[in-house]
Amino acid sequence: MAVRIRLKRMGAHKAPFYRVVVSDSRSPRDGRFIEEIGTYNPVAQPAQVNINEEKALKWLQNGAQASDTVRNLLSKAGIMTKFHELKQQK
Amino acid sequence: MTVREPDALAKTNRINMLIDFYEPLLTDKQRTFLKYYFHDDFTLGEIAAESGISRQAVYEHVKRASLMLESYEEKLGLLARHNSLVGWIGKLEETAGLLPENSEARMRLLEIAEGLKQSEQIGKTVVNEHGV
Repeated sequence: MAVRIRLKRMGAHKAPFYRVVVSDSRSPRDGRFIEEIGTYNPVAQPAQVNINEEKALKWLQNGAQASDTVRNLLSKAGIMTKFHELKQQK
Repeated sequence: MTVREPDALAKTNRINMLIDFYEPLLTDKQRTFLKYYFHDDFTLGEIAAESGISRQAVYEHVKRASLMLESYEEKLGLLARHNSLVGWIGKLEETAGLLPENSEARMRLLEIAEGLKQSEQIGKTVVNEHGV
């Protein structure tokens, strides 16, 4: 089963707000997700990124695939670097 | 292995804003593919499986619809105008914040900022698609 970490657009018209969610690749359409692990607000100056690092690392280590957009966010938050370091240790 | 997009986030941000401005000009099909890809962050493969067409065809739809949005923006410039306005509203609010807390002038300036936001329809309707 493929588990993906993606960015889901929420928020209002011309005022986007995103959730970082973990969801099952098989049923993307019903919109349900397994867990929310963070938020991203691009409207704020500077943009606000809140990601639960512990949860993000847990999902990545369990093989969840992050979308390109989420990878961008995780890199910004320094989480991708930590993930790769953890992988090296094994 | 798919090619990683280093600017995926910037692109998603831009396209999603363009969708907010030019959505009514899109066809149903264009709208559907754009939203799956940029609002919901589904992969081309997932969208392909969902709609029963090839991954390549989904890619073409998304690409062409994105180009349509950019061509509307090039001609109409609504997003550029919006960004400029939001910048000025921010400066207005900042300036108001410099005035004494309960002063008449401060309240008036904040009212004007609020009025400008409303006329620009910021946050007017809630975006809600595919349930949730």
